[in-house]
Amino acid sequence: MLELRINGFGGQGSVTLAHLLAQAALENGEQGQALPFFGVERRGAPVRAAVRMAPTTIHAHSQCELPDYLVVMSEKLTEAAVREGITKHGTVIINAPYAMAVAAHPTWQVDAEAIAREAELFSADGPNINIPLFGAVCRVLNIPQHVMEQTIMNKWPGASGERNLGAAGKAYNTVIQISE
Amino acid sequence: MKAAQVIMATGNNAAALAVKSARVDVVPGYPITPQTSIMEAVAAMVENGELNARFIPVEGEHSVLAAAVAASAAGARVFTATSANGLLYMHEVLHMASGGRLPVVMCNVNRGIFAPWTLWADHQDSMAQRDTGWIQYHCSSNQEVFNTILQAFRVAEQINLPVMVNFDGFAISHCLMPLTLPPQEDIDRFLPPHEPGWRLDPAHPSSFSNVTVASEYAPFRQMLSDDIMASVPLVKEAAQEYKEITGMWDGDTIDTYRLEDAEVVAFAVNSMAAELRLSVDILLEQGIRAGLLRPRLYLPFPSEDIIQALPQNAQVMVLDRNYNFGHPGGILAAELKSALFGRRNDITVKNRVMGIGGIDLTRRFMAAEIRAMMEE
Repeated sequence: MLELRINGFGGQGSVTLAHLLAQAALENGEQGQALPFFGVERRGAPVRAAVRMAPTTIHAHSQCELPDYLVVMSEKLTEAAVREGITKHGTVIINAPYAMAVAAHPTWQVDAEAIAREAELFSADGPNINIPLFGAVCRVLNIPQHVMEQTIMNKWPGASGERNLGAAGKAYNTVIQISE
Repeated sequence: MKAAQVIMATGNNAAALAVKSARVDVVPGYPITPQTSIMEAVAAMVENGELNARFIPVEGEHSVLAAAVAASAAGARVFTATSANGLLYMHEVLHMASGGRLPVVMCNVNRGIFAPWTLWADHQDSMAQRDTGWIQYHCSSNQEVFNTILQAFRVAEQINLPVMVNFDGFAISHCLMPLTLPPQEDIDRFLPPHEPGWRLDPAHPSSFSNVTVASEYAPFRQMLSDDIMASVPLVKEAAQEYKEITGMWDGDTIDTYRLEDAEVVAFAVNSMAAELRLSVDILLEQGIRAGLLRPRLYLPFPSEDIIQALPQNAQVMVLDRNYNFGHPGGILAAELKSALFGRRNDITVKNRVMGIGGIDLTRRFMAAEIRAMMEE
């Protein structure tokens, strides 16, 4: 069972990202689970969501305390997110405008905000960074690009899906591994 | 023959889809976290014509159940849902539904009760309704929620008793998972239309639930007690026939994992019992002969099945997500000890309360707790 945790700020679309990843797992022929933690929601407050993928039925229903993969929605949260818990050599995927690495953890970086701005993907809360991050995380998890794209089109059939595809595809192909 | 369809659904969405599949006639509703999205989904289905039912928005949970009772007495198939304080507010009418022998099915999305306020799961709400005469299931997965609502209608209508289908707030209700939807014709075969033997009908006036003298009242109450016990074989039959038709199985009165030769048995309900399968795997890796027994039916308490299933000389570690106020520990432990007393004197029962108000229960934490309990 693969376990992943998303750490972000309220309003960044962490719940939708978690749902997309769980749906991609199903699209990829596996089982998927998205388990966001719902608190007393406020924009800008720290939020988290658990995602699990496995070839067979998932029985876990706790938050991911020690994930294999950690997705950090904003580089400002990196230290706090790692401190919250990750497996010993777990992989970190960070949305950051510059290359950064977490000591002792394989680290990937993508500039999701720049990609979302370029694709003109905005909501009331700002650029939709969760769409490029979805592409980037699929790449790191070795989920085929066509599965990633199909997941987006299933969720948003038509023109809005098409616009998301461009941003997710760009992130899929530009996310880079900073450290091993 | 049509094939089953697999979709992604939250636990609350699974509940709403089961309501649709059950072809429910009447749904009174009032919102409360974390149940609200069930009622939202059902109301949307009624609005867009997917479900041919009457949705009745009312001003509070006491009235929700009053409307449910009235609609059920008029012969309708009735569903509603609530959580925590909403369930407590229904308490008086819960007795009307059971005493009136009305087969209402209600989801209770488990949430801790005030004071102080909490939004997250524990089992004080449903277990505090133990003595209201409702049959109570407790579910540990999204799929089980869907399957159990259909089984609950069948059992309720066979024995004329209301059934509560409980599952954890957020850990199940807001958790997105794959959900298998059997073809509708299979569900229709499993759950035929509701044909009550009696109903309130203005064309044929009759009185219902009048004041009774003791010699009339007492037999009604005895019959209620007897019929609650008599629901056990119906629960088993429903689970078995559902399996034959859909291929899906969540257990009947109980669900077990690696129980056959276990020396240490984890005992819990709801989502923590699903996570406990992984705790059992951790303990097995550590060389401990561990297993799991999950009561799926909490009321009537499946004493005979538990007595039959527990291996010789087992230590049973009851993990309660509730308090049995006035006693040390939790309610499940008290129920289990009562069931075993004088019947299985070889069994040791140990108990801890945990996960109150939604405290996260991880596989590692529960495995460590069980190890610590072994030393007690």
